[in-house]
Amino acid sequence: MALINVAAREIHCKIVYYGPGMSGKTSNLQYIHSQVPKETKGELLSIATETERTLFFDFLPLDLGKVRGFQTRFHLYTVPGQVLYERTRVAVLSGADGVVFVADSQKHKLEENIRSLRELAVNITRQNKRFQDFPVVLQYNKRDVLGALPVATLDKYLNTLGWQRFEATATNGAGVFDTLKAISKLVISKL
Amino acid sequence: MDPQLTSQIVPAEEIKVIEECLVRLAEDTGGNYVLLLDKSGQVITAQGDAARQDITALGALIAGTFASSREVAKLLREKDFRQLFTQGVRENIFISLIEDQWILCIIFNKGTHIGLVKVLTKKATDDLSVVLERVREQQKARDDVLGSSFRTSMEDTIDLLFRD
Repeated sequence: MALINVAAREIHCKIVYYGPGMSGKTSNLQYIHSQVPKETKGELLSIATETERTLFFDFLPLDLGKVRGFQTRFHLYTVPGQVLYERTRVAVLSGADGVVFVADSQKHKLEENIRSLRELAVNITRQNKRFQDFPVVLQYNKRDVLGALPVATLDKYLNTLGWQRFEATATNGAGVFDTLKAISKLVISKL
Repeated sequence: MDPQLTSQIVPAEEIKVIEECLVRLAEDTGGNYVLLLDKSGQVITAQGDAARQDITALGALIAGTFASSREVAKLLREKDFRQLFTQGVRENIFISLIEDQWILCIIFNKGTHIGLVKVLTKKATDDLSVVLERVREQQKARDDVLGSSFRTSMEDTIDLLFRD
């Protein structure tokens, strides 16, 4: 739920990057952190294992400055993708205003993508929100990998609700900002 | 629209009431720092040591801890854990849930007794529950607060800032 503090004239929104393990959620945040102006971003906070797999979440606060007199802040989070951390994902999703679902385009990851998306639907519904109305943007990541599934195939299995979707290669930044722009605008439109 | 998708608007007069409550809690307990968070991790307001630069990250982590404890409670078939206490070498943190929506957090040092913190936090929690109830009942239209051109300006800002 977005928070509007009238006294401080501040608006805060929470966006969560969701998806199966190793699909590139943290890479998205790392690329955003490397590119946005210094005055816009806070520290990228990562709670990760020794092997740099996300354990709890990554957190990147973005301050868009004053818009029509309101200081506007987006807080970006990632969830840990591995199956084992299902309950942790529920915790990070708490109070989210929008979700970027980062799917892995590799053929052998299709089933994991489908499972993760189903889990997202269940978790959003458990927060008493209608999944069909909830702001979601799809990102088909790892488009540079040899043998990546065609977009039409991914659409068929993952985009049955007709969300905006973007092709991306998060490691070099392709599609990362298009995705961020889309989800930010979608969240703002629901304020 | 689904009420769960709407925003929570905290009016200026309620922020004032909240701030007074937090100041009173900090003074009466001798606590160093008091924060009120939304369960999504956003800081509603904070009182105390102004030198702290890390409030945003602190809010995200504390809310994360609380959300995580809620899942632990479910696994243990507990209803929920309404309070959490973290003991440090220099400072301690006591966290209390307000009506499943807000989180009150007080940071205090060895000079303050945990018993006192628990009692006074309970009182503050009751007071803030009343404020939360009023905030929830607020029917003020979004456009009254944000203005009709807000969304257009916001989109322009997003296009300007979010690019390679």
